[in-house]
Amino acid sequence: MTETDKKKILIVDDDPDLRRGLNVRLRANNYETVFATDGMSAISVAQKERPDLVVLDLGLPAGDGFTVMERFKTIAPLSVVPIIVVSARDPQVNRDRALKAGAETFLQKPVDNDELLSAIRKALGEPVG
Amino acid sequence: MSEMTDRPIKVLLIEDDAGDARLIEEMLAEATGAAFALVWADRLSAGLEHLTQGGIDIALVDLSLPDSLGLHTVVKIHSHASGVPMVVLSGLDDETVAVEALQMGAQDYLVKSQVDSHLLARSVRYAIERHRVLAELEQVREHQLQTKNQFLSHVSHELRSPLTAIHQFVTILLDGLAGDISSEQREYLEIGLRNVNRLRNMIDELLEVGRAEAGRLTVDPRCISLAEPIVETLGTLRPGAEAKGISLSADIPGSLPSVYADPARVRQILTHLTDNAIKFTPEGGAVTIRARGAKEQPGVLCVSVEDTGCGISPERTERIFERFYQEANTAEGSRKGLGLGLYISQELVTRHGGRIWVESQLGNGSVFSFTLPVFSLAKILAPIITENNRVRDSIALITVKLSPIGGSPSKKIGEAVHAQARDVVQRCIHPDLDVLLPRTASTREDEISLVVGCTDWRGAEAVVRRIRDQLGRCQEFQGADVNLTVSATMIETPSQRENTALERLVEEIAAEIGDRLKTVTSGGGDGDG
Repeated sequence: MTETDKKKILIVDDDPDLRRGLNVRLRANNYETVFATDGMSAISVAQKERPDLVVLDLGLPAGDGFTVMERFKTIAPLSVVPIIVVSARDPQVNRDRALKAGAETFLQKPVDNDELLSAIRKALGEPVG
Repeated sequence: MSEMTDRPIKVLLIEDDAGDARLIEEMLAEATGAAFALVWADRLSAGLEHLTQGGIDIALVDLSLPDSLGLHTVVKIHSHASGVPMVVLSGLDDETVAVEALQMGAQDYLVKSQVDSHLLARSVRYAIERHRVLAELEQVREHQLQTKNQFLSHVSHELRSPLTAIHQFVTILLDGLAGDISSEQREYLEIGLRNVNRLRNMIDELLEVGRAEAGRLTVDPRCISLAEPIVETLGTLRPGAEAKGISLSADIPGSLPSVYADPARVRQILTHLTDNAIKFTPEGGAVTIRARGAKEQPGVLCVSVEDTGCGISPERTERIFERFYQEANTAEGSRKGLGLGLYISQELVTRHGGRIWVESQLGNGSVFSFTLPVFSLAKILAPIITENNRVRDSIALITVKLSPIGGSPSKKIGEAVHAQARDVVQRCIHPDLDVLLPRTASTREDEISLVVGCTDWRGAEAVVRRIRDQLGRCQEFQGADVNLTVSATMIETPSQRENTALERLVEEIAAEIGDRLKTVTSGGGDGDG
């Protein structure tokens, strides 16, 4: 698989360790990764990099995950990009809200790697398993 | 006290004897120090109506009423209006009954033949004051509970991020993403990972306890087969059991009826009980999950988790479901977690209307059992089918169907849309007259069918209009390319026969409705399992 065939995933998380860990995991599974550390840069990086999928944290500085999803909806090329929310927050309170805001899936930290990868494959329309 | 003398104390007297009522009225009128305004009700039902209307400062209650007898009256009033203090006025001088009345929520118990004007007025004033202090304490307690739970929720959130980082990098090393590792390194990393998972479970338990205390432990019951959560639990826990040399199996008769329960919660309870059983069973032992009908209690299924472990002494079986209960000195000295799992399991079982218990003998293993209600359409539909102890002439069924446009099976309607649709329909019906039936196992995957039972046809037509209107306006469904059909059918009930018990008749009607639902929700599909 050449570099250009790889699907590009935008990782949005304010914790540098979590970004790095996710980066290693996703690159090992043949994805290209780009990063944003807050809500505002998530939008600008997404507009510049045109990712195929976003892995989004909810608790972010400068516009939380929900704000990011709202903005994505209003920007034409971004409105169709699938979003997987990965958050430490209580799923009982946030899962439905995230799904309504447009997320494909809500996964709670710490996420099982297989679960995350199969959610990503499913959202990208790749064969799962 | 001063605020009370400002206006008369409004006393509700629930007393069927007009003579006694007159006497009490006179006593209160003679009393000095406070003014009383009396409202008289000659039976419990009338009294409860006054309490509903509000404005009552205290209830004076006789225990022998034409429509309610004994302490039952105290329970009824307390559950109906716990914010109103209550004094029992009884003809019976019985200390045991008096103490029980206080335990059930009364502030005082007076014997009619012993009261005079002074005593009665004082008792009434003190009861109001005591009740007020109690209510204040309760408020403080609730506030503290809320603060504690907010703190718990915050802490568990904050703990998850560092835990996630540890989890990520341990699994990166384990999966060889940073180069090859030796078998010894693998072993140590696996120990690390196992403990990360333990920590995660503890954080989850802390959150659940907070929810249980705040009454926010949610249970979403539906019609399910017990076999599924049991088989799933076996699958999750078998590797750990086998590593310990313990055989893990299930014994489920094929003919078990469906239960009315939340599958995720049943899995949670089973996982906890089974995990515990594995923990306390030595190498070479066996853990068995059994499901069966409860002989002594029809309408209920019993699930047990049986082990060949060290057993529990009688004094410990009594306390084992308490919150934060811990084994005082375990032989192996191994930690047993936070001691919250059984407490949470008990709360969850109770929320399902079941009960949980343990039978055990030291050295002879333990059996933890819990019950779940058998799914019964008759029980759920009974309020719709009957009215004043007889069967209604007709009832109506509303069916709401959401299916993907084009009918392509890959375009499944998601869980979020399903939950949203239920929410909307629930808001459209009359909560006292209509019942939204729970999900059934036989619902086709690519479409949603919601069924509402209604007591009358005209009401049903209005509900149909409302559902069409509300669901049609829902953003979620407009974007999702969904076909919406809402229809109502009238069901004539068979006329009541002299020799058939009401219960039996309700069951027959429910069974007929059940048959119709099968064709509605599964399109004549595979039926239930």
